[in-house]
Amino acid sequence: MAEPLIVALPKGRLTDDALAYLERAGYGLPTKGDNGRKLVLEGSDGRLRFIMAKPADVPIFVEYGAADLGIVGLDVVREAARDVYEPLSLPFGRCRLVVAGRADRPDRPLRLERSPRIATKFPRLTEAFFRARGLAPELIVMSGSVELAPLVGLADLIVDLVQTGSTLRENGLTELRVILESQAMLIANRASYRLRAGEVRGLIDALARATAD
Amino acid sequence: MPDISFSADRPLPEGVRDLLFADAAAWRDMEAALRRTWAAWGYGEIILPTFEYAHTLATDVGSALDAEMYRFFDRHGRTLALRPDLTIPTARVVGTRLYDQPLPLRIAYAGSVFRYEPPRAGRQHEFTQVGVELIGAGGQAADAEVVALAVAALRAVGLPEFKITLGHVGFFRGLLAALNLPERLAADVRAAVDRKAEAELAALLAEAANLPPLARRAVLDLPQLTGDASVLTRAETTCLNTTMMAALAELRGVARLLEGYGVADAVSYDLAEVRDLDYYTGVTFEGFAPGLGFAVISGGRYDDLIGHFGPPLPAVGWALTLDRVLLAAELQGRRTPEPTADVLLAAHGCPACLAWANEARGRGLRVVLDLEGLDAPALWAQAQARGIPRAVRHDDAVLQVQDAAGVRSLALTDQEEVLRWLNR
Repeated sequence: MAEPLIVALPKGRLTDDALAYLERAGYGLPTKGDNGRKLVLEGSDGRLRFIMAKPADVPIFVEYGAADLGIVGLDVVREAARDVYEPLSLPFGRCRLVVAGRADRPDRPLRLERSPRIATKFPRLTEAFFRARGLAPELIVMSGSVELAPLVGLADLIVDLVQTGSTLRENGLTELRVILESQAMLIANRASYRLRAGEVRGLIDALARATAD
Repeated sequence: MPDISFSADRPLPEGVRDLLFADAAAWRDMEAALRRTWAAWGYGEIILPTFEYAHTLATDVGSALDAEMYRFFDRHGRTLALRPDLTIPTARVVGTRLYDQPLPLRIAYAGSVFRYEPPRAGRQHEFTQVGVELIGAGGQAADAEVVALAVAALRAVGLPEFKITLGHVGFFRGLLAALNLPERLAADVRAAVDRKAEAELAALLAEAANLPPLARRAVLDLPQLTGDASVLTRAETTCLNTTMMAALAELRGVARLLEGYGVADAVSYDLAEVRDLDYYTGVTFEGFAPGLGFAVISGGRYDDLIGHFGPPLPAVGWALTLDRVLLAAELQGRRTPEPTADVLLAAHGCPACLAWANEARGRGLRVVLDLEGLDAPALWAQAQARGIPRAVRHDDAVLQVQDAAGVRSLALTDQEEVLRWLNR
């Protein structure tokens, strides 16, 4: 039996959909009952091995070839800016990366801000977005509850992921700009794409068919 | 144990490292294997300076490297830079000094290069490139020689498994010309092809409203045009103009020659490889090894570079990153033992022993002298601690040899036994 292909999956809101589509594409999933603690799981048919990683780490596993493939949001892929292939977009995990501010902020264009203080978990994309518009943002990099920052005067604006927008509304925030429309992506290591071309191509095509149905 | 104190306040600058004995030995073994290989193919080594004027190294052809150069000033305030690769200095030497020599020139080099780039996969800011350049020869025969030499080099250093992926910039350039997209869209298409982003390509083409169906098909097929030599047949229907056809014909010619070289099994094809599109002018290739996510070798044809320094000459070559090849070989199970000596010799007060050591060394035996006058048990303990298989002391006119099997006598003149030690 050949070595299984290694797929890095993000722990969290994309996990179930990612596994469901891989199953629909005909791949054996890890057997149930591992109570979510194991970080490396074997697929039941021996064709795939799964690495359960923090979403932000998935592109790193894939770039280094520790995983041949990965499934993760486009937002994470762009923020990580790692050298990986992106052969497939997957029809789940849809959300958008937005600039948001207090609903009661004065209504004027962002470009007239002096040097906005922005709380975010996406420093690279935030920096690039504001720099491209001629602004010098002051970034406050946070690891949770970014919505809190404008409410307590820590930041003028936030850049964060939004699915329905209800969290923003509940916290008295409003969406100002969309930076990126995101959805789940299949990413691939550049070496694996060549060295295991047949198996990688097989998985891309099978997933493409599974998502087209 | 004595009280060991060590100083932690002598940090290394970011981007450099030391290689200790076993690593250094593996390193030099690989370098030696590469030297033997290029010499067997008729390539001659040149040794290049570590720094040059920054404007010499920062040609607009290799502009991607420009931002990564280490720059500093000489005492007259002129800007110098550490070489970020060895191809540009080689091009300078050819363009300014060797242009009227019999062509083609076959040049090889090995040395450190310096780049501000994040350390990844065995590569620090300082890393070692070993490479060859075939200058003054265009065409398939030259391309094939260089690719075949790349395979030979990776085999010579003992990398069991690897794959060279061959492409041609003319294929994608021809496609872009045929599409005639607005500049912005063309750049997006190129970026999407670079990431093999098939869905994104489809979305981008939706923006190009009046694209002929054949051209649309060609772009969407592109990410699939990767694999074994059958790709070169499949790609025929994708060709939209003579540029694409010429690129494909050239690759097919190279593929045929590579079969003759007996390296076809180590080569695959990728017509959607668009990296360094602005630097290369013909075939391009990268080499990958299992377990290492990054290319260990890369190269291609760059007919526009030499002309920056002298009369224009066609050129093709490659450079491998020795640091990464070593790492890749280790990932595939290669182990280099700690280098050690064959004999620990107690020569204290025995001039004849020194003569014996000289003779043994002349025959290739690695002999380490005990400088302290250790007694027999201490000498053997010392040998074991250093991984040396035998300890030798003099006892009147004979030598007492101790090894794992025990102690026995050896005549001072008995070099037959020494030869046996060598062969083991």
